[in-house]
Amino acid sequence: MIAAHNTSYLAKLPAGLKFGALLAISIGLYLIPSWQALVVLLIGSLLLLFSARVKFQQLRTALITLLLILSFVFISLGMQTNWENAWVSVLRLLTMCMFAYAVSLTTTFDAMLELFQQVASPLRYVGANPAQISLGLSLAIRFIPELKRVYLEVREAQHARGLANNPLAVAVPLVIRSLRIADDTAEALEARGYDSADKLK
Amino acid sequence: MELPEIQLEQVTVSFEDRTVLADINLTLNERRIGIIGANGAGKSTLSRLLNALVVPTYGTVRVGEMNTSKHAKQIRRDVGFVFQNPANQIIMPLVADDIAFGLKNLGLSKADRKVRVEQTLDELNIKHLADRESHTLSGGEQQMVALAAVIAMQPRTIVFDEPTTMLDLRNRLRFQREIAQLPQRAIVITHDLELLEDFDRVLVVTDGTIAFDGLPADAIAHYRQWSHV
Repeated sequence: MIAAHNTSYLAKLPAGLKFGALLAISIGLYLIPSWQALVVLLIGSLLLLFSARVKFQQLRTALITLLLILSFVFISLGMQTNWENAWVSVLRLLTMCMFAYAVSLTTTFDAMLELFQQVASPLRYVGANPAQISLGLSLAIRFIPELKRVYLEVREAQHARGLANNPLAVAVPLVIRSLRIADDTAEALEARGYDSADKLK
Repeated sequence: MELPEIQLEQVTVSFEDRTVLADINLTLNERRIGIIGANGAGKSTLSRLLNALVVPTYGTVRVGEMNTSKHAKQIRRDVGFVFQNPANQIIMPLVADDIAFGLKNLGLSKADRKVRVEQTLDELNIKHLADRESHTLSGGEQQMVALAAVIAMQPRTIVFDEPTTMLDLRNRLRFQREIAQLPQRAIVITHDLELLEDFDRVLVVTDGTIAFDGLPADAIAHYRQWSHV
């Protein structure tokens, strides 16, 4: 889920401040044992989301998945420990996720990458290149749906040839096509003036 | 816009033992240039020579005063490249960020990048795509975004490698209009012969050599004859 254009007051705050606050809140939530206090904070996180004009539609799929996971956590924790403990844990996770959505949906992807580069800048001293790592991250996010599309195409083609149950028949063309995409993308990066050596300066 | 002369002198390109282009001599001055030829004839290699994605094994390629073997980085700022499959050319997950990517590589400030991105989106009438995730775009939209990413960098020459192959008729016509309106020089490698009708010059590449060089109608007739169509 990538932030669409958001013009709320939260979007105008620096990404570092928002992520720093999120980190502090996440740690703080684990120091609160009372479920009543957690409910108040959950309401606060929802108000923050709404005040930042985040559309419910953007969150729908993520929320459904989250609620399924939390239901599983609630049941397993409840059975292993006690139901109050499970309730507190689920409230903590849910509140943390709501704050996280409020931050991630009001921060542009570009701003997140820049923040990542700043945070990861000490890695230069051990020979790593934060700019390259951040480009790698953005390429991974960009190409996951692309690779899924290629996988579905290959699977469909192998279905048509009666090879649907043969994992090798799907894996080999998938790897070859993925390598071709990687080659094309590397060429496009060059053509668009990307120079990894520059980023080391 | 003053367009730099592109000059290829005795250019040969070999990959391992295979010669892909042999002894090519060309001077390109025109605004609209087409390159046609059979699959594997060397068209794509020829196009990649023009912005230093491929450097000659022998001979020299010059864009203005710059030699592609020595000034690749500067040449890529002046010669943009639109690939056949736009999906592999779009680097960033969001359209606006993708257009800004090349500008970041040019060293533009954040504020300048923002202005240039908005200007380009507006110019191509695709402002509505700015916040879309790249993978959700249709083929035609992806091709327009790929073009926008190149135009934003303000090169004086744009090379298109089979740009209409993956487009339907409507998007193909739209793309053709966009190419026609570009103030830049456009060098288009294509199998889509209709696209070249209004061009100034068309080269026919056959087996790694320039088999014909002339006006579109003559070049297309030569190519049709060669292909026995």
